[in-house]
Amino acid sequence: MSFESITAQPAEAIPTPIFSSAKHDGDRYSPFTVNIDRLVPFRTLTGRQQFYLDHEIFQEYGEMLANYKPTLPPQVMAPGDTTVKRDDHELALRYMTPHGKWNIHTMYYDNLEMLTLFRGGPNVWLSPIDADKAGIKDNDWLEIYNRNGVVTARAVVSHRMPAGSMYMYHAQDMEIQEPLANITGNRGGSHNAPTQIHIKPTQMVGGYGQLSYGFNYYGPIGNQRDLYVAVRKLKKVNWNED
Amino acid sequence: MEDEEHYRGGWELNSKGKLQLKAGNKLNKVGLGKIFYNPNMPELDDYYEPWTYDYQTLFGPEKKHQPVARAKSQITGQTMTLTTGPNWDDDLAGSPEYVKQDPNMDKIETDIKTNFEQAFMMYLPRLCEHCLNAPCVASCPSGAMYKRDEDGIVLVDQERCRGWRMCMTGCPYKKVYFNWKTNKAEKCTFCYPRIEEGEPTVCAETCVGRIRYIGVMLYDADRVESAAETPDQSKLYEAQLDLFLDPNDPKIIEQALADGISEEMIECAQRSPIYRMAVKEKIAFPLHPEYRTMPMVWYIPPLSPIMNYFEGRDSINNPDMIFPGIDEMRVPVDYLASLLTGGNVPAIKSALYKLAMMRLYMRAKTSGRDFETAKLARVGLTENTATSLYRLLAIAKYEDRFVIPKSHKEKVEDAQSEQGTLGYDECKGCSLAPQHGSMFKKAEAGESTNQIYAESFYGGIWRD
Ligand code: SF4
Ligand code: SF4
Repeated sequence: MSFESITAQPAEAIPTPIFSSAKHDGDRYSPFTVNIDRLVPFRTLTGRQQFYLDHEIFQEYGEMLANYKPTLPPQVMAPGDTTVKRDDHELALRYMTPHGKWNIHTMYYDNLEMLTLFRGGPNVWLSPIDADKAGIKDNDWLEIYNRNGVVTARAVVSHRMPAGSMYMYHAQDMEIQEPLANITGNRGGSHNAPTQIHIKPTQMVGGYGQLSYGFNYYGPIGNQRDLYVAVRKLKKVNWNED
Repeated sequence: MEDEEHYRGGWELNSKGKLQLKAGNKLNKVGLGKIFYNPNMPELDDYYEPWTYDYQTLFGPEKKHQPVARAKSQITGQTMTLTTGPNWDDDLAGSPEYVKQDPNMDKIETDIKTNFEQAFMMYLPRLCEHCLNAPCVASCPSGAMYKRDEDGIVLVDQERCRGWRMCMTGCPYKKVYFNWKTNKAEKCTFCYPRIEEGEPTVCAETCVGRIRYIGVMLYDADRVESAAETPDQSKLYEAQLDLFLDPNDPKIIEQALADGISEEMIECAQRSPIYRMAVKEKIAFPLHPEYRTMPMVWYIPPLSPIMNYFEGRDSINNPDMIFPGIDEMRVPVDYLASLLTGGNVPAIKSALYKLAMMRLYMRAKTSGRDFETAKLARVGLTENTATSLYRLLAIAKYEDRFVIPKSHKEKVEDAQSEQGTLGYDECKGCSLAPQHGSMFKKAEAGESTNQIYAESFYGGIWRD
């Protein structure tokens, strides 16, 4: 089988150790065939495909069906946290950690070629509107923190960013070009330093029809979005290599 | 680096309407001593200072702080503060500063606003244009640069290059680079060893988006100069278009055969995807024709979201909406015209109408909706041409994208006796050649193979 032969007409692939395909008797590998073809009941309370969740915790949270929930109110530090002396020009921005253009997690991003093809070290994106407010110029060093942690990175100011939001692309190496944070006196973390996993009470439901834990099947998800950070210029760029 | 008013690349017309290099002719270069001091030469900082990282510190002894690898210059070895790089403004990074520096912005009327709602960007992959009227070739005081007769590829003769670097100034696309190790100019070779074998270039072969096409164009070499001397820069695109010859015209075929062009070459010219896009459909354009270089890498301008109705619910029923729609495109038409036609806006618009109409037609077809096919004629398409253009652009099969004849070297040289002649000893182009050369000298001086081996290799790894 070649690329040319499959563009000319469909061809059947046989199962291999690395890829599933037609199984037997013309069956295709696709989800839930066993429930549809062999009439094995779905593993739900009703035995059918089911969208409505009638568990009392879901009812309590109004999430019996998929619905919209507004984001959490902005919060950088909470009462009882270590106090950080605020800076006069400090921004509170929504903090997001999207996947990068060139990399999947840590793969490919931190080699010399790819670092050369951008800013050569950790960076965060923000809008010119926010940058002006805090007197931030493109390529300035910033210190970004909240109650979870602190990270230092260079500013990328771009009108590609909407006001009020900050991006730090996924998985930038904190062992390359990362100065010490002024707040902690330690090396800043990477994109996940200011994030935290939110656990929702609805994720605690278990042992109830399809809401039963199974590896790669059902379990609490790691939701570490919906966060805010305080952003300010890094006053002293200290590498402290000793 | 795109500002050629500053770097003085390309050609301009002198007071007599004749072509002259922007950076001055040869006499002027010698007379004014510019051959030893070139004020228009881009310097290291105009490109960027290459860096690497001090990775070794990551393996040092335990310290108070987690170690960090800092950037250090590949030239001086000193720690450096990074302030620019080859892709520094990627994806509109630093736009408040860098958008203003785009020389294409000065030439257009549309007021470009750098706000989130009106943001636009496009990628423009650039390689050497293998110009018909190449200023790099004309700039070289040593005659080291040449355009090959058989396929038009522009190359640097590494033997003849004396490192004057006038080609770097001369090329307005800044596509000649200097190798500071060999002290020779280097540039895109259009992967000529592959082209000679009928294979596409590496960049075209590996392009994931399948956006690169390669094909043969027949043109009238005698008219290149006068076409490049077209006074009005917005007419240069059409002047270049006019140089291309119709490979299906019996008279052209006869003349081509008489001039020794192979039948295979002519047949490839007839099937050329480039001829189709540039000449027949007029959807591809030269990059900065106003440099008067007659560049040979052409670009199809991108469609981009159109503010209101165009892609809206009603667009299929009302294809007429594309005509006002194109004017409201996110990437402004006059911006595209300043890149690709020397400011000829109507040419860009008709290409975009055609691409948009083709899309509407195909969408109607695949979604089983009505489409008044008479509308196709308004942009110069028929049902057949719209479908085949769609296949060429969207299906983009390998054999449709690359129609490249083999060079048939066996006709001009004795291929059998040439076999194995480009090898180790005197091949100066290979980086390892000096090492090999020294090995041969040692052998001639009577050293045994074992001795040479022990000196030159350890564990099978080159020692260099
Ligand atoms: S684009 Fe290529 S052929 Fe044209 S001037 Fe530059 S180096 Fe020469
Ligand atoms: S891959 Fe080949 S054709 Fe493409 S830019 Fe490089 S040398 Fe030129």
